Amino acid sequence: MKTLTVVAAMALLLLYVWERVEIVRVGYQIERLKVKKVALERERDELQVKLSALTSPERIARVATEKLGLIPPQRGQVILVNVKPEAPAHGEPAMPDVKLARNEPVGKVP
Amino acid sequence: MAAAPYRGRRMVAALVLLSGFALILFRLFNLQILQAAELTVKADRQHRKAVSVQGPRGSIYDRHGKVLAINMEVPSVFGVPASLDDPSGVARDLSPVLRVRAGEIEKKLKQERSFVWIARKLDPEQGRRLERMPLGGIGVVMEGQRFYPKGPLLSHVLGFAGMDSQGLEGIERRYDPSLRGEKQMVVLQRDALGRTVFPKGLHEQAPSAGHNVILTIDEVIQYIAEKELEEAVTATRAKGGIAIVMEPRTGAILAMAVNPRFDPNTVQAISADRWRNRALTDTYEPGSTMKIFVAAAALEEKVMEPETLVYGENGRMVVAKTVIHDHDRLGWMTFAQVIQRSSNIGSVKTAMALGAERLYRWLRAFGFGERTEIDLPGEVAGLIKEPRDWERRSLASIAIGQEIGVTALQLVTAVAAIANGGWLMKPYAVSEIRDEKGRVVVQVSPQVRRQPISPESVHTLSKILEGVVTHGTGSKAAVPGYRVAGKTGTAQKIDPKTGAYSSNLSVGSFVGYVPADDPRLAIVVVIDEPQTEAWGGVVAAPVFRRVAEQALQHLGVSSQEPVKLAMTTSSEMARP
Repeated sequence: MKTLTVVAAMALLLLYVWERVEIVRVGYQIERLKVKKVALERERDELQVKLSALTSPERIARVATEKLGLIPPQRGQVILVNVKPEAPAHGEPAMPDVKLARNEPVGKVP
Repeated sequence: MAAAPYRGRRMVAALVLLSGFALILFRLFNLQILQAAELTVKADRQHRKAVSVQGPRGSIYDRHGKVLAINMEVPSVFGVPASLDDPSGVARDLSPVLRVRAGEIEKKLKQERSFVWIARKLDPEQGRRLERMPLGGIGVVMEGQRFYPKGPLLSHVLGFAGMDSQGLEGIERRYDPSLRGEKQMVVLQRDALGRTVFPKGLHEQAPSAGHNVILTIDEVIQYIAEKELEEAVTATRAKGGIAIVMEPRTGAILAMAVNPRFDPNTVQAISADRWRNRALTDTYEPGSTMKIFVAAAALEEKVMEPETLVYGENGRMVVAKTVIHDHDRLGWMTFAQVIQRSSNIGSVKTAMALGAERLYRWLRAFGFGERTEIDLPGEVAGLIKEPRDWERRSLASIAIGQEIGVTALQLVTAVAAIANGGWLMKPYAVSEIRDEKGRVVVQVSPQVRRQPISPESVHTLSKILEGVVTHGTGSKAAVPGYRVAGKTGTAQKIDPKTGAYSSNLSVGSFVGYVPADDPRLAIVVVIDEPQTEAWGGVVAAPVFRRVAEQALQHLGVSSQEPVKLAMTTSSEMARP
C-alpha cells in the first residue's frame, strides 16, 4: 500500500514535470511557426507586389505590342453581342440595378 | 573501539551536509520569500518585453480586385556603433550589399551614438543577403513600406503614404483612418537567449491590419484614359490635361486621369504641384460646354424649343459695349443648331431670354459653385458670382462659359445628370471597405443629390447633343457603332501678365456620354494650353472617341449596329 502511494506520487510528479517541459516545447514550436508564418506572409506580399506590377495594363500593352508584335483589335474585329433582354427605362437611375454594374460579366448591361 | 571514530566522522559528514542544506534553505527562503516581490519584478523586466506593434496598412484595390497599393515588409539596417570593434571592416562588408560606398557607412558607424540607421527600406533580396552575413553590432528590422505596383497609374487619385505609413494625399489621406493598422502594445516573454517563448496569454491577438479599400475605378479604363490623354497632351504640346470617366447612372468614377503624371513610389523627388488632383482642385473657364446647361434651362423653362428660330446676327453682336463673335457668320438657325454649331450669339440670346436670376439658379441646380462632395480630398467649389454682383456683360459671358470657374469633375457630374435622365449624382471613388478577413465594413451606394431637370427636357436635349457629334462641332468625338451625345468647348485663358483674355492660351475640352440612348459612360476631356490647335473639337474630341471606343469594348457594351438585331430574338426567347 505504502509503495503504491509512493509510486503514484512519483508518477504524478513526473506527469507534472513532463507537462511543464511539453508546454515549453510546444511554446517554442508555436513561436517557430509564427516566425515561419510571418516569413511566408512576407513572401506572399512580395509576390503580390510582383504579380501586380507584372500584370499592370501598361506593361501588358508594352509586351504585347513591342515584344509579341500584337496590335489592338481593329474596328469590326470585335463584335459584341447584346445579351441583355431589355434596356432600362430612360429617365431613371434605376437604383436596384446599381450593384450589378460592378464586377459584372462581360456582355451584361445593368 | 572502532565505532567511535566512525561515529565522529559520520557526525561531521552529517553536519556538513546539514549545514549545506541549511544554507540552501536559507538562500531559498531569502530569495523566494523575503525578496520575492522585488525579484519577480526584476525578472519580469528581463523576460518580458513590451513592444508597440502596428498592424499593416490596408491595401487599395480597383473594382475588379486588382492591387493598386499594398504594404510590404522590407528590411532596414541599423548599427550600434558602441559595440563595433572594426567599423571600417564592417563597412567594407556591407558596402556591396547596400550599394553604398564603404566610406559613407564607416562615417555613420563612427558616430558617437548608441543607434544609427545605415539604410532604410531596402529590397527584400538585400535583406536576405544581410541575414546570411554574421555581423556583430549590425541589426536588421522589418518596416512596412507602401508600394504602388502600377507605378504612375491613378497616382493623383491614390495619393501616397509617408515614411511612417501615414496617408498624405488622395485616397491614402481621405481614407487614412480606415487603412491604418491598429496600434497595440504586445508583451513578449523571452528566454535567456532573448528568444520569444510561450506568450503569456495565448488569446493575445496580433494587432489587426488596416481595412482594405475597394475603388470604383476600373484599372483598364484608367489605363486607357491615361494613355490617350498623354498621347494628346504630347501631340498638341499642351501643358497638361484631365480626363474623367464616370458611370452616369451611379456617379461612380471609372477613371480619373491627370497629366502630367507622377510615380507615387518616388514621391520625394517630385514637387507638390504635380501631386494635386487637378480634376477637382483646379477650376477653369469652361467655355462652350456651358451652353449645354443654358440649353437645359431654356428647354425646361420653355423659353426655347429645338425648332425655335434664332438669328445669328451674321456672327457679330454688341452686348454691354463689347462685341461677341461667332466663329462663323451665322444667319437664321434653329435653337438645336445654336448648340450644335456652338453659336455664342445664339447662346447669349437664350441666356437673355432666361434672365440673370433663372440662369444663375439653373447653373447652381446643376451643381456649379458647390462641391460635388466626392470622397477625395482637396475639392474646390468653383466660382460663380451671384446675380447681384454681375456686371452688365456677365449674363452674356456666363452664357458662353466665361466669368465662371468650374472643375472638370463638376462638369462631368452635371453632364452625367443629363445622361442618366435628370439625376444629379454624388460622384464617388470608393465602393467598399473590407476588413482583413474580407468582411464588408462599409458599402457605398450611389446617392442622388437632386433632380434638376425633367426626363422630357433631358430627352430633347440629348437629341440636340447627339446632333453636335453627328453634324456639329464635335464630329471627331463620334464612336463608330454607338450614338454619342456631347459638346465641345474652347475657352481662352486669362493671361496672368495682362489680366485680359489671351490670344494664344486656351483650354480645349469635350464632354459627353455614350451610348446616347442608354448611357454607360460620361466622359470629360480637358486639354490645357494646347499649342498646335485650340479648338476643343480638334484637341479633345478625338481623345473622347478613343477612350470611349476602348472602354465600351472593355465593358462589353455592344454596338448599336444591325448585328444586335439578329441576336435580340434569341435573348428574348431566353427571357423567363
